[in-house]
Order: sequence, then structure tokens, then C-alpha cells
Amino acid sequence: MRSFIHKIVACHCVSIGAAISLAGEVSFNRDIRPILSESCLLCHGPNAQDREADLRLDRPEDAYADRDGAAAIVPGDPDNSLMIWMINAEDDEDRMPPSKHARSLNQAEKDLLYQWIEEGARYEGHWAFTPLPEMVAVPEHGGQWAKNEIDHFIAARMAETDLKPSPESSREKWLRRVSFDLTGLPPTLDEMDRFLSDESDAAYEKVVDRLLSSAAYAERMTSEWLDVARYSDSYGYQRDHDRYVWPWRDWVIDAFRENMSYDEFITLQLAGDLLTDPRPIDVIPTAFNRLHAHKMEGGIVLEEYRVEYVADRTQTFSTAFLGLTMECARCHDHKYDPISAKDYYALSSFFANIDEAGLISFFTEGVPTPAMPISHPEADEALAAAQEEITGLEGKLEQAERGVGESKEFELWMASRPDMTWPGLVASLSFDDREGETLVNSAAPDHPATTSELNLSVPGVANAAIAFTGDDPLEVPEVGHFTREQPFSAALWIRPRQMAERENLFSRGGGADDAASLGYEFLLLDGKPTASVIHYWPGNAIRAQAKEPIEPGQWHHLAVTYDGSSRADGIRIYVDGRSIETTIIKDNLTRQITEWSGDRTNLVLGQRYRDRGFVGGQMDEFRMFDRELAVAEVKELYDGSHLQRLLQKEVDLLEERERTELLEYFVATGHEPVAVLRRELQTARAKWNRQMDELPDLTIMRELPEPRPAYVLERAAYNARGEEIAADTPQILPTFPQDQPRNRLGLAKWLISPDHPLTARVAVNRYWQIIFGQGLVRTPEDFGLRGEPPTHPALLDWLARDFVDNGWYLHHLLKQMVCSATYRQSSWTDEKTRKIDPKNETYSRSNPDRLSGEMIRDNALAVSGLLVRTLGGPPVKPYELTVGFIPVEPDEGDGLFRRSLYTLWKRNSPAPAMVTFDAPKRDVCTVKRETTASPLQPLIILNGPQFVEASRVLAEKLIREHPEDEEAQIETAFRLLTSRLPEKEEVSLLGNFLDRQFSEFRSNPAGAERLLEVGQAPFSGDVDPIDLAAKTVVINTLMNFNESIFQR
Amino acid sequence: MNTPLCTGHENGIGLSRRDFLNKCAMGFGAIALSDLFNPVRTSASGGILENTHFAPKAKRVIFLYQSGAPSQMDLFDHKPVLNARHGEELPDSVRRGQRLTGMSTHQASFPLAGSPFAFGQHGESGATLSELLPHTATIADELCFIKSMYTEAINHGPGVTFMQTGSQFPGRPTIGSWMSYGLGSMNENLPVYVVLTTKGGKGQPLTSRYWDSGFLPGRHDGVRFRPDRDAVLYLNNPPGVSRESRRSAIQCLRELHERQLAQSKDPQLENQILQYEMAFRMQTSVPEVTDLSGESEATLNLYGEDVRQPGTYASNCLLARRLAERGVRFIQLFHQGWDFHANLPERIQQMCKKTDQASAALIKDLKSRGMLEDTLVIWGSEFGRTNYCQGKMTKDNFGRDHHPRCFTIWLAGGGSNAGYTHGQTDDFSYNIAKDPVHIHDFHATLLHLLGIDHKRLTYRFQGRDYRLTDVHGKVVKPLLA
Repeated sequence: MRSFIHKIVACHCVSIGAAISLAGEVSFNRDIRPILSESCLLCHGPNAQDREADLRLDRPEDAYADRDGAAAIVPGDPDNSLMIWMINAEDDEDRMPPSKHARSLNQAEKDLLYQWIEEGARYEGHWAFTPLPEMVAVPEHGGQWAKNEIDHFIAARMAETDLKPSPESSREKWLRRVSFDLTGLPPTLDEMDRFLSDESDAAYEKVVDRLLSSAAYAERMTSEWLDVARYSDSYGYQRDHDRYVWPWRDWVIDAFRENMSYDEFITLQLAGDLLTDPRPIDVIPTAFNRLHAHKMEGGIVLEEYRVEYVADRTQTFSTAFLGLTMECARCHDHKYDPISAKDYYALSSFFANIDEAGLISFFTEGVPTPAMPISHPEADEALAAAQEEITGLEGKLEQAERGVGESKEFELWMASRPDMTWPGLVASLSFDDREGETLVNSAAPDHPATTSELNLSVPGVANAAIAFTGDDPLEVPEVGHFTREQPFSAALWIRPRQMAERENLFSRGGGADDAASLGYEFLLLDGKPTASVIHYWPGNAIRAQAKEPIEPGQWHHLAVTYDGSSRADGIRIYVDGRSIETTIIKDNLTRQITEWSGDRTNLVLGQRYRDRGFVGGQMDEFRMFDRELAVAEVKELYDGSHLQRLLQKEVDLLEERERTELLEYFVATGHEPVAVLRRELQTARAKWNRQMDELPDLTIMRELPEPRPAYVLERAAYNARGEEIAADTPQILPTFPQDQPRNRLGLAKWLISPDHPLTARVAVNRYWQIIFGQGLVRTPEDFGLRGEPPTHPALLDWLARDFVDNGWYLHHLLKQMVCSATYRQSSWTDEKTRKIDPKNETYSRSNPDRLSGEMIRDNALAVSGLLVRTLGGPPVKPYELTVGFIPVEPDEGDGLFRRSLYTLWKRNSPAPAMVTFDAPKRDVCTVKRETTASPLQPLIILNGPQFVEASRVLAEKLIREHPEDEEAQIETAFRLLTSRLPEKEEVSLLGNFLDRQFSEFRSNPAGAERLLEVGQAPFSGDVDPIDLAAKTVVINTLMNFNESIFQR
Repeated sequence: MNTPLCTGHENGIGLSRRDFLNKCAMGFGAIALSDLFNPVRTSASGGILENTHFAPKAKRVIFLYQSGAPSQMDLFDHKPVLNARHGEELPDSVRRGQRLTGMSTHQASFPLAGSPFAFGQHGESGATLSELLPHTATIADELCFIKSMYTEAINHGPGVTFMQTGSQFPGRPTIGSWMSYGLGSMNENLPVYVVLTTKGGKGQPLTSRYWDSGFLPGRHDGVRFRPDRDAVLYLNNPPGVSRESRRSAIQCLRELHERQLAQSKDPQLENQILQYEMAFRMQTSVPEVTDLSGESEATLNLYGEDVRQPGTYASNCLLARRLAERGVRFIQLFHQGWDFHANLPERIQQMCKKTDQASAALIKDLKSRGMLEDTLVIWGSEFGRTNYCQGKMTKDNFGRDHHPRCFTIWLAGGGSNAGYTHGQTDDFSYNIAKDPVHIHDFHATLLHLLGIDHKRLTYRFQGRDYRLTDVHGKVVKPLLA
């Protein structure tokens, strides 16, 4: 029997495609291209590396070319075409495709090739790469049945077969179907009654308008977009910590609510940050590009993962908007589509130009840069007020400092000039007084420094210095705990052993890469002194670097001062007593530098956690101050006499420069009004800083001033850089517009051009899939040569053209679809139709699609009345998360009853019931869910507390609404769950079942009590527990009925 | 089962129940709904391969995954040179500029660390094992060692992902998913691919991605059995609902569906009836397999005292045998905690105590039941460890960092070459001196033992035909018996 069915089905499968074509002319795109793609192009296609016999069959000029007097294809003459000889060769060794190849040609395919060559071997461009036509003619088929253009196209194709449209669904079933398709929720009893009683022509359209304008519609469309955007509330990979990205999800909901046009919807997500003067609300959508997984595993090679993030963005862009498998060209030229590796890297370089690192921080809570604060009006006001205060004080301070030179105080001070002291000295290490592992800190004797004995004492600049191994730190406890508004300075002598890429002199923070370098640090990078104050490296930090390296093997004096401004020009570096020219490497510090976890709390010298230490370097005379040093002080630290000399020199003998240095010194240390203003400024900055630190950060896109150099990476290896390339779009697609910038905004403009061959087709296809269950192109992720061709190419083009011409509005597009006669067809069909067209390629019936996991759960919540209709906000934790791979405590109250799109999504422990119902794990952009049935699914609805509780709540509601009327209770439950009234036999079946449950629980009253305790929702004590338990079971069973979980 | 719920439906739409299961018995009777209308040709057990490519030696696999990367030179790969040169710098001529993890790459010094453990030869094969593995020593002649494994990843996440999927980046199917997809099920009441994790495991975190199906349909995911009441998600009836009550619920649904089936002959309804019956049966078949109370004292003693505690490595080893007996294709244990960056000498001893006896017991148990012949057991991890010390080395304490360039795994049964040691590392256990085996080669060999040509088990995703071995891998012939 089984083989018989196979035969029938197989036979009909062929008949629907091949039989039609054999009767008429062979079409290259429909009939021949799939054969070439499947069986020939792997070795005779666009990929040059793997090409055999120097033969290409994907382009006519190559296939027709003369090859020693013969040709692979001679148009019109199959018998003299080598191809026909080769595919029919008798010898296994000679026959194409080779026997080791997984594919072989069947007779029907051979016949098609023969006929095609006979008819002239005409090649056609791949349909998906040809521009969207300006006009598409609508066929006349469909007659009375058709309700709009869609139906004419559908009828035209059906006319080529023996099939007829299926009868209309009942009104109840249409209402149920359209409610789920557009809002993901079932119709209410009231909505059913209103629709059934409205017999006007406009009744259907009224329902559609109502649904499209509902908030539930926006949630439903968002739910689907979360798969496309690989949305997740956690960072993924191995650690998978939670992250804050839901403001992006709420932006999507708002966009669907206001029926934002699709071109704007994708432009903002790709490049909102690149608009002129973007507002925060324009930048939030760019988080789309950062929703990929981020690595938080110390020890990885950072560049390898940064490259991976860029690849993820590229893949998401290609799959979601182009419907192309660009990823294939990451290692080599695409084997089937005309996309080269160069195309791939030229496209991916658009997504590389942000200030990010491949590793995210383990020891801090910082958000991967670039990031932006998500503010609210109160905070905006507070920040603006604080900023005003800062600006005012900065002005006042500058004025005050300028005035000091002419002031009486300065005159008096100059006259008296007290002996110099070192105010603000917090650490002072001469490295001379050492007992084993302890070294004296003369500035804070209670807090001596400690180090390993392996760091030896050696002769230094003044008595002993210390020589570092590079693996052993010197730690100074309790000092240097600076916030970013706190000015500070440090000075030290060093003698590097060698010129190295990176050496740590001193730092305080949670570590290097594992803590995003949060804190402050003073390094030698390629020998250049480099000072940084960092919230999150590389995107939230200030860094100034000396232009010249210092010589290894020599003693040099270094000093660094910082003014507490959070600006890079507030850092100064001194070498051997002279302020030197620096390059500003980073200038964007907006958040705190003091919060990290772990036990690394001390100022460390000569080494740093998982970083390159000061290997073999020597250090002497380390000083740290909690203020900004004046130039003269740095000189004094360098030569031990400069400032003292100035202080003692007679006023009249002072040179102008020396007088200026003394003035600066006085301003820095002695002038009380200036000191007061400085403290006030520091307080104002602290106010701004605290307010900013309270706001959460969202990871977004922000373009680097200069694009990163981009290369072809050989075999996709992060460190195998090949040819350098410039940002560009794939050669096979329209050229990049001349008048657009070569950045993501230009790319978005290119994408939404009205004739773009892919953008609208891909979008329209995805929305068709949402409404009809399957796309017109059944491989929505692959519009390339190996994807399936559209079942209705002209309809796809017409819909796409109409979509673009009408402003890219989804309301318009979706309304067309659900108002069609095609959509109104019933899903119940006869065996003949099923057998002729098993895949429903003709759309001669509705597909009986199973509801998504989200809909199944939302349905139970909706019918029971438990559903909490709050829109947006932080993710929630319903019951199922308690049994995830990594269990999470459930929410209490509302969080249990929100729509499923708000369920916390953890990449490494995704909501288990949703996954069982085929939700993708959202590791990568997913544009199609495969629906499966497995016995694990019934267990969820039958046993999961969410469903048991909803059944009980609905049972109680019905008992109250229809006291003493069991039939009404059953009927209403049935209607709520299936949107129709039960038939008589169904009522009696359920009645019998209810009776069995009664007797079951009557003999087991304790069982009834226990069942009713499932779930947090309360129930009233005045309902008979046995009655309630029995009806809970009946309703729960009905939730499993085919018509409750399938679109019928 | 008391009443015969599961009689066939031969008079339904013409598909017998047996036929039906043939099509859908992939992983707990799961089926792609689209397949209902598009019968794809599959093997009798529902795998995509109608027949294996050659005669399989192994029918099933048990992979004892030692998560965190055990140190090869403290367990298997005896290197006296390291003891002789203990404390000396790792010579540049040995390291050859290899990339190190960000955890030790900045170290100024890389002192060699010899193993403090004694090694001996065991069995007729004379396999070399350290004193930490006395039980493994007793099965030495059953084992096939590969001392020349290597990988490309240097960290756990990418490393485990590579061992499980053949790629260090997430998204591809794991080995068990490929088996489920290719070979299908031998028992419709149990999953094809079961994962058991040691309870309370610490160290490098596990993620469900290590056993998911990547781009293969979700029904090929590994099903992790939990060591608690619901081994499978929501397996048990809600409190207060008896088996009898559930039976009548399934019966009621069936009657509702049969009415519609009679009218429409829609195969989807038939499928739904079957799925619900299978779910009902699973509610007893799963607890039966996880219940160890029927095991003899002798068996329990073989696995050691821990076996009496659910969720331990020992208990999972025994459970693995029970699952294998009942036809589960691919059983993978994950035991965490081998990641000794510091205090290795002490911690590795505790780790071996927790695992050595049960690993050996599983081999003995399978053998005594005649199952070792067609069950392939694998003991291994994602990479090895460095011969140099990470962090501070003291007289009797040190740690080892991750090392991708060589590591040791062993195979037993299932057509593997018992009593044979393959490959060799240099005197430093740093580079491979002879017969390197890449993870892709290991995968190719594993599939070969199952009767599968690794180049011919493919799945099309986003336009490309993917396979477990990517575009690499060759079968390592000497590993075959």
C-alpha cells in the first residue's frame, strides 16, 4: 500500500510541473535552470577554483563556445551537442554528472534538456535579478469568483490544471483565520456575533480594518520580525548573560502600530544613526544590527569574533532584505549564484565601521559599544540642567584663573612664596625601603605596597628601583580610587627593557579585555606613553598618546595629568619634565569608571590581569596625586630642583616663562577662590555623571569617522587578509547610486530604490507567507539560482510593484491578501486535490496551518480572560522558564499572563515550550519556521501549568456565566476555542467525557483539589471543586482539538 | 497499557499505522507537517538514508563528553621529558609561534610542567595510562586510543561547538542530530538523541546549543533528560489527574478527530491522533527507562556508589546503557569540570575519582550484555592542555591552559580497533609527531562506523548542501577493527 501511494504521489508531482511544460515550450527559468543548478554548476559554474574541463554552463557564451570543433551546446541541434552525449554516455566512467556526484539525471530531466536545446537553448536571466517591472498585466481569469487582482493570477494558474477553487470557508472560520493571521489572537464572542450579524458587503472589510488598527496587530507583526532580527534578551554564546535590548523591540511595535512604510522601517534599522541630526528615536532601531550573539569568554582572540559579528550583520542583511545566501561567498566565490567572495567582503564592509570589540565585558555591567543611553524627559531635564551648570562653572573658572595673574593674592604670594609642599600626594614609592614583599608608601604609611619577591630590587635613578617580571604585579592598596570627575596625576621613572607592542606601567580597574579595560591605565604601546580613562573599551573612553616612542634601555621620567573633564584634551603627558605632543585616540567618555566585580581593587604597577606586563622593565620614584599637577611641579619631580629654584629666585630676576610657571603653580595649589570653583565644578560634573550612569545603555550603530580598511579574507579566516576592497553592492545587482555616500545610509537608499529586483519581492513574499502559510517563493531565504522559483511569478511581481507604488504600506498589502477570494477558501479539501497538488502550489485551498507556539499560548490566555494586554516593556518570565535548560524563577502576577512575544528569550535556554512548537532559537536571521508535529507538543498543552491554569480559569468563568446549564458551558467553551458552535454529536461526545471526569473526581476529591491549585491565578472557594476539576479537564482537552490549534 | 488505544487506522485514509510511523518516526515520532503531503523516501526507521552507504559496525553511539578539556599528559600521554625539564622555558622551537589564549598569551614566562603522576602499561596491548585511571586500566584492551587529535579552537565555547558540529561558530547541527536525520529512530517511544548532564556541574557552562539541531529541523534536537520528576518537559500529568482520566481525554480527542477524519480523510488528523497516542505511551516508557530500581546489586556495584544518586556521572553511565538497550541512537553525557587552569594536581585526582570507575563499568556492562560489539563508546573532549604552566608554578602545584594542537580521546566497541593506539605527539606533548587526526577526520570515521559516507549525508540550508565534516575529513582506516 505504501509503495502504491508513493507511486501515485510521485506521478502527480511530476505531472504538475513537467507535464505542463512538455506540452508547451520549455522555459529556461522554470525547467532548465533547476537542472543545471542541481546537477551541473557545482563543477561547471561561476566558481573558478572548482571548475572542471574549463567549461561553464551558466552562461550561453561559454556553453556555445567552440571546443576543438565541437560545443557543449549547439542551439537547435541536440544531437551534435556534447552535453547531450555526455549525459547519455553508456560508460559509467564517462557519464555526466559523474557517479561520485550525489545527483544523477532522470529520464524526464534528460528529455527536458534535449527539448530545450532543440528549441534553441535560449538562456534567460535569473528572474530574481531582473529589475522589478514597471507594469504587470493582470490576467482575466477568475470570473465571478475573483474579488481582487490576486484572484485573477491565482485563477490563471489554476486554469492550467484540473483544479477548481475550494468552497468558501464558513464566516466563523474566516474570522478565526484572519484574526490569528493579523493579530495572533482569536476573535472574542462579541466579535463573532457582530460579524455574523453584519450581512452587509462591507462586513469582511470592516473586520480587516478593525484588526489592522489594533495594537494586537502590531504585536503579531513584531513577533515575526523578532525571528528575522534574531532577537534575544541575552548575549548568547557560552556565558549568555541577560542584556537590555527590548527598547528596540518596543520601537518595532510602535512602527507597526503607526503603519510605518516598509522602506522607512528598514532604512531606520539599517542606518537611522546616519540621518542628518538623528534623534535618539532614529538611532534606537539600529540596534537591529547588534542583536547578534556577543562573546563573553575570556581568552578568545578578539579580532576573530569582531569579524564574526560583521559577518552576522551581513548575513542578516542578505537573508532578510535580499533573500540571498551571501554567506556562501564568505569562503570562496558562490558555487551557484553569481556572487564573488569580493562581492561578499565589499558588502560586509558596510557593517564593519563601528567602534566595537570582539569580546564583551565579563567583570563589568557595561554595554558593548557603540551604545547610547535610553533616557526619559526627567533625566533629560536633569542632564541639561547639570550641563548648564558645568558650562557656567567652566566659564567662571577660566575667567578666575585668567584673573589670578593680576590679582592682589598672587602679588602677595609672589612676595612671600612659601616653601613648596606636595598637596594631594596619595602614593609615594621610592622602592628603597623594602622588606621582602612589602614596600613603604611614604604618602600613606598605613597602606604599604606589596609585590612578589620575584620582582627584584635593582639600582635605580635614586637608590633602589624595582625590576618587573611582567607576570607579578606591585599592588598599592586603598589609593587612587578616582571617579572620572576627579582630577589626578602620576609621575614615575621607567627603564623599559625592550620596545614592545604593549606594556602595562600602572592601572586601576577590573582588568583588560575581560573588563572592557574599565578604569584608568598608563601603557607603553609600541613604546609610546599612552594614558586612558575608560568606561568601556573601545567605544566609551578617552585616550591620549605620545607621538614619539621612548627609547628602551634608558631611564626616562614620565608624568600624566588629568583634569576631571572626561575629555581627551584634559589629559597631558610629560616626558623628562616636558609636556609633549599627543594624538587623541579616543574622545568619548560618558560613563563611570569605578564599577566592576572581582577582587582586583588595587592600583597595580608593572602587570595587569590577563594583559602584557612591564616585562623586564624597571621603575623608580612613583608618585600619585589626587589633583592636576602644574608644569613646574612635573619639572620638579623630574630634576628635583626646578620649582624650588624658582621659588627662591628673586622676583626681578624671573623670566616671563618662569613667572608664568609660578603663576600656574599658584593657581594649581594656592588660590582659594579658584579652588572653590574647582570643587564646585567637580560637584556639578559628578551630578551630570551620576544622572547619566543611572540611564540604561542600548547597543546601537554609530559610524566611525573613517571606515575600517576592508579586505577579502581568504577562506573566511580573520587573519588571512587578501586584497583590500572598498564598500560596494554585489555586481549582479544594480550599481550603487552615484549620489549616495558609501555607508549604511547609502546602502539603505540603494536597497529601497523602486526598481530594486529583490527588496520588494522578498518583503512581499514574506508577508504572503505570513498570511497564506507558504511563500510564493517557497525558499524565502534563497531567491538565488538554487532557491525555488515562484509558483506565481507574475503575481509576485504585481504585488511587489503595487506595494512600492502605493508607498510600501503593509496595511495596503495585507488587506489585499486577506480580502481576496483565494484567502476565503476552506482548508478542508478532497483527496483528489491533495493528490494532484500535494504542496498546494496552486492555492486551490487554504493551508491548514498549525498555530505558532506563541499563538497557542496566547489563545489559551485570551479565551480564559487571563491575558494581560500591557503593550511593550521589559521581558517577562512565565511558568515555562522554570523548566528551561537554565531554570529561571517565574514572575508573580502579570508577567505570567503577557503575550508570548514578551517572554524572556535566552539564547542558551530558550523558552522550552515555544521551542517545542518550532520557534527558532534565534541564533541567526530566520525567515521561515518549519512546523513539525511531535508527541512532545501534546504534553505541553495537556500538562503545562500555563494551559492547565487557563483551563481552570475558563471553566470557573463558564460555570458562573451559565450556572446549571452544562450544555451552554460546553458550547461556549467550544465556540471560544474553535470559533464555531459544536455539532450535536460533538456536544454529546463531550458530555459523556465530562460525565467520566465527574465520576473520576468524585472518587478522587483530593485529586480535584490538587488540580485546582495549579497556577497562581486565584479561584473562588464557592465553586464545587469536583465540578470545576472535571470541567477543567474537559476544557483542557478541547484546547488540544484540531480546530483549536490549527487554522481551519 | 490496559486498553488498546493504538490499534491501526488502516481504514482511515489508507496509510497504515506502520507506514505512518515509517515516515514520521524521527525523534519521538516527530514529523514535519509539510511531509504529510509530500512523502519523502526514507528508511524504515524514518532516517533520510534509505539504506546506509555500507554495512554499519555500530548501531548506536554513547559519547562520554568530558567537558573542560582533560589534561592528556597527566592521563594518557606520558612525557618523561617534561619531568626532566620541569620548570624550564617552553622552547620557541616547540611552540613555533602558535596562538595562545588571551589568558596566558601575555605571560612573560612559560615554564614546562611535568606530570606528578606515575604511568604504567596495561593489558595485553600495553596501553599507557596514569595511576589516576585504575579502572580504565582494567579495560585497556577494549580501548582504541587516539593520541593525535587536534582542533582549531582555543577556547571552550568554540571548542565544544567544533567537536559537536564541525564548526567553531554556533548554528550547525550536532553529531547526534545528523544521526537522527540520517538514520532515524529504533524506538518510537523514546527520542533518537538523548543528552544526560551531570547534576550540579560546575566549571565552563553548558548550553543547550551543544546538542541542538542547528539548521536541521528542530525534531532532530537532542532531548535532555532531567534528573528529576519530569525527565522530559511536562511529561507527567498535572497533580490530581490520573492515568485513567488522561486515557479518557485521549480517547475523547480521538473520537472528535475520527468524526472529522471520516468526512475529510485529511492525513493531518490521522497524524494528530497518533501524536497524542504516542505522547500517552511516552508517559510510561520514559519513566520506565529512567527507573534504575530493577538493576541488580552486582550491576550497581560495578558502577560504584555514586550510581545510587540520580544525576551523577555514574548514574548517567548506567542510564546510558539502558537507553542504548532500548534503541536510542545517540546518547551523550556531559560531565563538566576538567578545566584546570590552576591547582591541577589536586583537582584532577578528584575528577578521576568521580568518573573513572563508571566509564570502565559502562564498557564492561555493555560487553557482558553483548552490546559492545555494535555500540560505539567515545571518551573525549574539545581539546587538550598546555605542557607549560599557566599562572604561578610552585614546587608541587601548577595549572595548564587550553591546548588545541594535540589531545587524547578513546573509543571502544562499535567496530573500533580495540587494543590499538593511534598517533603520537612530540616529546613535549605539544605538537603531533605522527598520524594527526583532525576533528573532521574523527567525525568522518565515526559516521563510517555507522555505515555512513560522510560526504553523502547532506542537508541543504540557504542554498548550500552542508555536512558534518564541512568540506573536509577523511576516514582514519587504522581506527577500524
